Amino acid sequence: MGQCVRHPMSWEELEEYQALTFLTRNEILCIHDTFCKLCPRGKYYKEATLTMDQISSLPALRVNPFRDRICRVFSHDDVFSFEDVLGMASVFSAQACPSLKIEYAFRIYADINENGFIDEDDLKCIIQRLLNTTNVGDELLNNLTKHILGESDMDNDHMLSFSEFEHAMSKSPDFMNSFRINCWDL
Amino acid sequence: MSDTSSVSGWDSHRDDTSDSSVFTSMTMSFLQELPSYRSLIRRRTTILGRDKTGGTLLKPASSENRVSSEAGRSEKEHLGSQSIRKYALNISEKRRLRFGPQRFFREIQEAQVKYLSEWDQWKQYSTKSWKRFIEEAKELASHLELWKNDIRSIEGKFGTGIQSYFSFLRFLVILNLVIFIIIFLFILLPIILTKYKITDSTFLIVPSNEVDMRCKVYPMNSTGLIYFYTYMIDLLSGTGFLEWTSLFYGHYTVDGVKFKNFTYDLPLAYLLSTVAYLALSLLWIVKRSVEGFKQNLVRSEEQYQSYCNKIFAGWDFCITDESTAKLKHSSILYELKTDLVEERIRQKVAQRTPEETLRIYSLRMLLNAIVITVLAACFYAIYEATIFSQEHMKKEINKMVFGENLLILYLPSIVITLANFITPIIFSKIIRYEDYSPAFEIRLTLLRCVFMRLATICALVFTLGSKITFCDNEDCRVCGYNHKLYPCWENQFGQEMYKLTIFDLIINLAVTLFVEFPRKLLVTHCSSWKLIRYWGQQEFGIPDNVLGIVYAQTICWIGSFFSPLLPAIATVKFIIIFYVKEISLMYTCRPSTRPFRASNSNFFFLLVLLIGLTLAFIPLGISMTHIPSSKACGPFTNYNISWDVVPKTVSTFPSALQTLIHSITSEAFAVPFFIVIWQLRLSDLPRVTQPSHHVLFHCPGWSTQTGSDSTQRAVGYGKSRQALSHSETYSCSGRDEKPTKLILNTILVPSKLTELPY
Repeated sequence: MGQCVRHPMSWEELEEYQALTFLTRNEILCIHDTFCKLCPRGKYYKEATLTMDQISSLPALRVNPFRDRICRVFSHDDVFSFEDVLGMASVFSAQACPSLKIEYAFRIYADINENGFIDEDDLKCIIQRLLNTTNVGDELLNNLTKHILGESDMDNDHMLSFSEFEHAMSKSPDFMNSFRINCWDL
Repeated sequence: MSDTSSVSGWDSHRDDTSDSSVFTSMTMSFLQELPSYRSLIRRRTTILGRDKTGGTLLKPASSENRVSSEAGRSEKEHLGSQSIRKYALNISEKRRLRFGPQRFFREIQEAQVKYLSEWDQWKQYSTKSWKRFIEEAKELASHLELWKNDIRSIEGKFGTGIQSYFSFLRFLVILNLVIFIIIFLFILLPIILTKYKITDSTFLIVPSNEVDMRCKVYPMNSTGLIYFYTYMIDLLSGTGFLEWTSLFYGHYTVDGVKFKNFTYDLPLAYLLSTVAYLALSLLWIVKRSVEGFKQNLVRSEEQYQSYCNKIFAGWDFCITDESTAKLKHSSILYELKTDLVEERIRQKVAQRTPEETLRIYSLRMLLNAIVITVLAACFYAIYEATIFSQEHMKKEINKMVFGENLLILYLPSIVITLANFITPIIFSKIIRYEDYSPAFEIRLTLLRCVFMRLATICALVFTLGSKITFCDNEDCRVCGYNHKLYPCWENQFGQEMYKLTIFDLIINLAVTLFVEFPRKLLVTHCSSWKLIRYWGQQEFGIPDNVLGIVYAQTICWIGSFFSPLLPAIATVKFIIIFYVKEISLMYTCRPSTRPFRASNSNFFFLLVLLIGLTLAFIPLGISMTHIPSSKACGPFTNYNISWDVVPKTVSTFPSALQTLIHSITSEAFAVPFFIVIWQLRLSDLPRVTQPSHHVLFHCPGWSTQTGSDSTQRAVGYGKSRQALSHSETYSCSGRDEKPTKLILNTILVPSKLTELPY
């Protein structure tokens, strides 16, 4: 548990981050605090990086069934810089616009083959993560997959492209509320 | 998955027909040639470019120039404006996009400075400092937010459903506080200033000769030695010594307060502050519900039942607690399994024979009749209880036994609470036989309970009102109300509302202390008994709790006119309830396995609150405009009805103003005015309420390939009605076939989503 050089953020830096992300000042300062507590001793926070394990064990992501996907999507070269963490927090913040959230939700959910679509295997994986077990009955899995594709697959290719996913999420009343992380404290 | 073909195609259509100014076209063309920018564009289009190809489908072939010019213009905007945030890039790329290459940017800046006059420079500086000031003010305001940490921790542990209940409670605390501040400033403050001789002012009492002396008789109780239990009874029921305090209407028997330079018209202030806080409550609730509205408008059952909603938006990303996460997993499993069951039921329903349908409908009618009978029985019980209580209150109270006193005084409250406790149980038993889908069952039960709760208050108020205006002999017709029994009838109203409030608080505390905590103790220590295990731990039922606080708030609104300190009492009560419920939640409750959707819960809470407010308008309106005000007490002794103070004040204005006011309030003006205001309000949300006809096109003949080809498959949107009629002019990009219309969806889409680059 090292502490990197405590360099307080200047007003200009804060303003710049506020312009580039959806975070409020307080949220940026809170993330800066958390980041500094986690990064190795002696390094300047702008140069330090955190591993995916460190981010996965943050309280905000610790119990999330999709935390490994989130880390994959938001990290660069398997590490998180400070700005990567800010970018992640911005997407999950309450002020973010729907299009941004839907974009990243698609990237998080389009999992296994990374072919840019959510296909049936991806759906099965998502459902297993949601229920926290790999032992989901086949009948339930097939039924759910069939229903999801029936509701949102418009061109009948048994996959969800980004447009179809977006269309489905724009109708979903719970999406904005549930795809939200408020607090990045340690 | 880079889409080079679409990138080059898109770029080649760019020409600078957009802007005439040389300056911007120079920047645009220069920026486009930079290699870093090209790679950014390529990277961006793979992300947003899925949309671009969809867009290519929809734009008719002739207007490709228009497309590029639009893209060019939006490019320029995006480079400078706040919408940089919406791009799905990481921060360093956004920074590069925003500022461009450093050298060139510095040149642009220097060039710009030459063109900026001193005024513009000062404007820039001042907007920057104003923004900083606003940011600091916002930060300060967020520190002051009440109970922020408590609600955050509840959200993390129990999910957003329960958190929305506590946010709602916080809103009511603040609302009541603001109402009390209004009342304090306009009614209490002048009286306190005069009474305690802080300013040099006197009370003004105007004796009126028109009123019959019999109406002015207000017998005061003897203020001799008071026993302690009489004191307690007075405290709990608002009679005796409390009746003369500023708690009730009767205390404000002045016609004005005479300051040095002017006379403060207290009756007018009393009436107008009532109207003011009711209007404020209405506007605030509407504003809050509109904010929730903007997120989703379509609230049909199917939207919540949609599997996409349950799978993709099923996990609450806010959850931080391990046990809550486990509970959420099992609740999702439960929900999905229930849906399977529900679907089987739906199939069964579809296969119903006509005889079965007839049987079901006749059964439903019978059960609805039973529900109505139950409601009528409750109302009748309340009526009888109120009449009994009112009649026996007039007898010598100190001759009765302590418990009997309290029972008689609180009889209406007790009956109302019992009714509100028993009827939900009856309703939930009845609805099982009505054979509805589970989601509809919940809604209907909720609706019945809401109606029950709020109608019981109405029954009480109606009973009191009828007793007050009931006259069986000539005597009381003199004053317009029953002055023998109720010389100061507003006080009686106020006392009933005060009793309801106090009793509600006592019951809440008692249930928590004597039912919930013992239950939890039993479950943890005696879990070997099957009965205890079956009963289980307390579940935090959100609808019941919400109805409870809406009920309390409705009483507060009705009672505030007759008891000006009631909002302050309600504020304290809600604060106590917040902490009690929070402690009860943390220590005794388990979160319910049945998910309560947070997205529609805010709207549901505010809708029920709005119903309560509307219901509060009715008795207030009737008592202000139809029932003559008491002549023995209160600020309106010189007027026939309370509302008369307004026309009387208007008649003292100069005549030009008078005619203006008369013309404004006449029907010929008011009705069109309100229609115009309503239209304006609706036009505030134009993009939200106008249906956006989304049509999905499908390009035939394309193979379902994965990989690089897939972005060319066409799924796109038409944004207006015109899209439907003009489908012939669209062509699938790259091919000559016409698209076929696949699905027509008329949906209401929040405005932000229509800004997507399609």
